[in-house]
Amino acid sequence: MYGWIWRHLPGNAWVRSIIALVLLLAVVYALFQYVFPWAEPLLPFGDVTVDGASAGGAGVGQ
Amino acid sequence: MAARTEHDERTDTSASPPPARRRVRHPVATAVSVFGELLITAGLVLALFVVYSLWWTNVLADREAGRQGDTVRNKWADAGPGALDTKDGIGFLHVPAMKNGEVLVKKGTDPKTLNNGIAGYYTDPVKSALPWDDEGNFTLAAHRDGHGAKFHNIHKLKNGDPVVFETKDTWYVYKVYKTLPETSKFNVDVIQPVPEESGVKKPGRYITLTTCTPVYTSKYRYIVWGELERTEKVDKDRTKPVELLG
Repeated sequence: MYGWIWRHLPGNAWVRSIIALVLLLAVVYALFQYVFPWAEPLLPFGDVTVDGASAGGAGVGQ
Repeated sequence: MAARTEHDERTDTSASPPPARRRVRHPVATAVSVFGELLITAGLVLALFVVYSLWWTNVLADREAGRQGDTVRNKWADAGPGALDTKDGIGFLHVPAMKNGEVLVKKGTDPKTLNNGIAGYYTDPVKSALPWDDEGNFTLAAHRDGHGAKFHNIHKLKNGDPVVFETKDTWYVYKVYKTLPETSKFNVDVIQPVPEESGVKKPGRYITLTTCTPVYTSKYRYIVWGELERTEKVDKDRTKPVELLG
């Protein structure tokens, strides 16, 4: 998979390395900015309140 | 990331001697190789998620909490005595035993509020009293890890430790009298106006801190109760009460 990507990047090894690095940073950015904030409330690691209803309800579930 | 470069280099060295096309691999070998790379990728993404949860959310939350705290302090400095404004936050919680400076307290315990690195007072399922009410329970929640982790060191609190709440014109000095290291998240009784589970029977002016436990998970809740010991007027230099000077 990564080999395939590498072979399809243009330029010599240096150019490819730089493009690969930029792609990598773009992926990390997308994860931190969009994917993780979306995924976090779905995972049960941040619930701090006591709550009569079942967790995940509106408002105080988390 | 590391795996990617390593792999790239490896592929590169093995692939560069012959022109562009490599030797033909068995489809099963290709499938296994892609599967392995996906596993490595998944591992790296999970590791990054840990970095995000335990570090990056703290960076964001501390920045936001600092900004909101400044707003409140500026407002206090500018405005003379006026109507109580709970929108920007009602004051700051100081808990010397937790060694985390001051924590802005705002209304509500929904994730959006708490994720800004502040503590929130309950509006639901049991409405919190406010410190200046004649009696009741001032009930707070904050994150144990990530998003500022303002109650991270809640386990350092012992009976007799001071918990000080600062408002525009009063210091409320509470003393911890009971801790409950583990309870169910459904145990709403801990934030009742008279929290009988802590051993008190009569209405009084209590404070309750709640967060999750054990650290890094949300399986149970950690509870700390305190009772108001005294109040102090804020003077013009905002001299801190003795509990915070140590």
